[in-house]
Amino acid sequence: MASKLEVNRRNFIKGAAVLGAVPLIPGGAMAQQHPDPSQIAAQSVPEGQVPTKPLGRTGVQVSAMGLGGYHIGSAETDQAAMEIVAKAFDHGVRFFDNAWEYHDGLSEERIGKALNGKRDQSFVMTKVCTHGRDKKIAMRMLEESLRRLQTDHLDLWQVHEVVYENDPDLIFAPDGVAEALTAAKQQGKVRFIGFTGHKDPEIHLKMLAHNFPFDTVQMPLNCCDATFRSFETQVLPEATRKGIAALGMKSLGGSGELVRHGVVTPEQGLRYAMSLPVATTISGVDTMQVLDQNLKVAINFQPLASNEMQSLREQCRFLAGDGRYELFKVTTKYDGKVGREQHHFPTVEELPI
Amino acid sequence: MPQAETSSGTIPLRKFGRSDSRISILGFGGHHLGEAPDAKTAVEIVHQAVDGGITFFDNCWEYRRGKTEVWMGAGLKGLRDKVFLMTKTCPHGRDGSLALLMLEESLRRLQTDHLDLWQVHGMAFDNDPALFIRKGGAAEALEKAKKDGKVRFVGFTGHQNPNVHLGMLQTGFPFDSVQMPLNPFDATFTRSFERQVLPELTRLGIAVLGMKPLSGHGDAIKHGVITAEESLRYAMSLPGVTTTITGMDSLDVLHQNLRIAQNFTPMSEQEMNALRDRVKPDAADGRYELYKLSLKFDNPESRLAHGFPLDTKQSEVQDMMGTAENTGHPWPEKKL
Repeated sequence: MASKLEVNRRNFIKGAAVLGAVPLIPGGAMAQQHPDPSQIAAQSVPEGQVPTKPLGRTGVQVSAMGLGGYHIGSAETDQAAMEIVAKAFDHGVRFFDNAWEYHDGLSEERIGKALNGKRDQSFVMTKVCTHGRDKKIAMRMLEESLRRLQTDHLDLWQVHEVVYENDPDLIFAPDGVAEALTAAKQQGKVRFIGFTGHKDPEIHLKMLAHNFPFDTVQMPLNCCDATFRSFETQVLPEATRKGIAALGMKSLGGSGELVRHGVVTPEQGLRYAMSLPVATTISGVDTMQVLDQNLKVAINFQPLASNEMQSLREQCRFLAGDGRYELFKVTTKYDGKVGREQHHFPTVEELPI
Repeated sequence: MPQAETSSGTIPLRKFGRSDSRISILGFGGHHLGEAPDAKTAVEIVHQAVDGGITFFDNCWEYRRGKTEVWMGAGLKGLRDKVFLMTKTCPHGRDGSLALLMLEESLRRLQTDHLDLWQVHGMAFDNDPALFIRKGGAAEALEKAKKDGKVRFVGFTGHQNPNVHLGMLQTGFPFDSVQMPLNPFDATFTRSFERQVLPELTRLGIAVLGMKPLSGHGDAIKHGVITAEESLRYAMSLPGVTTTITGMDSLDVLHQNLRIAQNFTPMSEQEMNALRDRVKPDAADGRYELYKLSLKFDNPESRLAHGFPLDTKQSEVQDMMGTAENTGHPWPEKKL
C-alpha cells in the first residue's frame, strides 16, 4: 500500500491541473468528442514480414503480433474479414486468436474460412468458455470450435476469461475444465494449453499457484498496466520464471481508448507492449486502416530501450492511476455474456460497466 | 407487510468513536429518501424515524441532484437538535475549495448551520487517497470546516475496495469515522471490509458506520438467499460497528427496520459463523456485491471527475441530463 501513496510530485501537480479542469457543469464534460477510428489516415505497409518469437519453452516460433479474434467478428462483412486475414497472413501474422463465445461462433467461422488452405502455416488458438462448468461441456465446445475453424486440431486451447474471484477454484475442481485441457492434449486435439483473463493479477497468480502445466498465459499488457494493478510487474515475471509463454493483449486499452484519447500514439502503445518479454501481442483489427497501422509497427518492430519504456510509463502514470483506460480491470464492461450468465451476474444491458 | 400500530420507541445507542456523542445503532440512509413518491411522504418518513428512535441521519451532496438533502432538511425542521446529522461532500479527487462550496450548499438545503459529521464521499479508485491528501485536496477542506465550527466530526466513505480504505487510513489524516459495506457476503468475499478494514478501525478508535447491510440492492433477499432481518441483525451485531445505515423509501420499510432495531439482541458468534458459511457459495464471485465490481453504484459526479464513461441508463445520469434539457441549466429548478 505504501508504494501507492508515494506520489510523484510532478505528476501530482499535473494531476491536480487535469482534475481542476473538469467542469462542474456536466454538459461540458459529456460533450467531449473523440475522433472517429474510421478516419485514421491510410498508411502504406512497408515491405517485409512481421518477425517471429519463441513461444516459451515449446520450441515453436510464433509471429510477434497476433490477430485478435473478437474484432474479426466485428468486421462489417464476411468479405471484409476475409480480406483482413488474407493481408495479415501475407505480411507474416500467423498467430490467430479466438474464443468459442465470440459473436456466437461467427469469429471462429470467419477464421476457419479465411485460413482455408493456410492452416498448416498458421498457429490457431481458441478458448473454451465453461465459466465454471464441467469437463464434458468443455469437450463439446472443443468439437464445435474445431468444426467452425475447419481443422482437426488446435495449436493452442485456453480457458477463457478467468476474471471472477472464484474462477480458479471452479477450474481446478474435480471434473473441471483443467481436466479437459489435459485430456484434449493427450488425445492430440490440442498441442498447447493455457488460460486468459483481463481482471486482476491476483486471480492470475492464483491460477499459476496450482502448478498446472500451462504452456501459455494471456493477459493485458500496456503502458497504463505498468503502474496500475499491474500484470506486467506481478504476473509476467512469475510466468517467465515458470517457463510459461506470455501472450499480451489490450495493448491500446481494449478498444483503442489510449489512442482515441491521445494518451499514446498507436506506435508507442504497440511497441511498448511488444517490447515486453512476451511471445506475441494480440491486437484486434476490424478495419483495413487498423490493420495497416498495426502492420507498419510490427514489420518495422525494434524493441524500445529501457529508458524509453520508463518514459512511456511515466507519461501514462497519472491517467493510469484510477483505471479509466483499463476499464476491463475496474468495471464489468469487458466481461462477456456467457461468464455473466454462469456467475449469475446482470446482463450487459443491465450492467454495462 | 402490515403496518405497525405505532413506530414510537427507542433504539439502543452506541458511542461514536472516541467522542462522548452517542448515536442509534440503526442509521437512516439518505439516498433512498429520494425514492419516496413526494416531499410530503418523505417528511412523514423522517418524522416517524425520529419518533421511532433513529438519531443518525445520512445524506450526500450528490444524491438525486440535491433532492434528498432538501427533503431531509424539511423533515428535520424543529428536530435538528434531536439528531446526529451527516452529509457527504463529492470532490472525487478535485480541489478542497470545491468541497467547501458543496458544504455551504448542503447546509442550506439541510436548513442548518452545522453538521455533526461531514464525510468525503465515494473513495473508489486506487488513486483517491493520493488525490485526497494532496496539497489543495479535500483533506484541507475537512480541516478547515472543522476549525470553523461548521462540522463537528469528519470521515470518509466508499464501497469499492478495502485497499482504498486502507490507503485513506495510511494518509495519517485524523478521521473520526469511516463508512463501508458490512454484510454476510462481504465477510467471506476476497475483498472484505469486515476482515481487512474493521479491525484496523477498531484499533484506531475510529467510529465504524456500516452500510449496504442488504448488500446494496436487495437481490439476495429477492432470490431467497437471506432474509432482511438476518442481514440487518448480522450487520448490527458485528463487534466494533457503531451504526448500520440502511435506506428507507417507504413507511413499511421504516417500520420493519424499526422493529428489528428496537428489539435488537446481538447474534451470537456461532449464529454469525453459520450465516457466513451458509451464504459463502453465493458470496464467492461477488454476484451480490456488484458495488465492488462495477461502477453501477458510483455516482456520475465521481465518473466525470475521474474521466470514466457515464452510463446513460443510470437514473442519476438521466436526472442530470433531463434537468439540463428541461431548463437549460445543469441544476434542478424543480419545485420540491
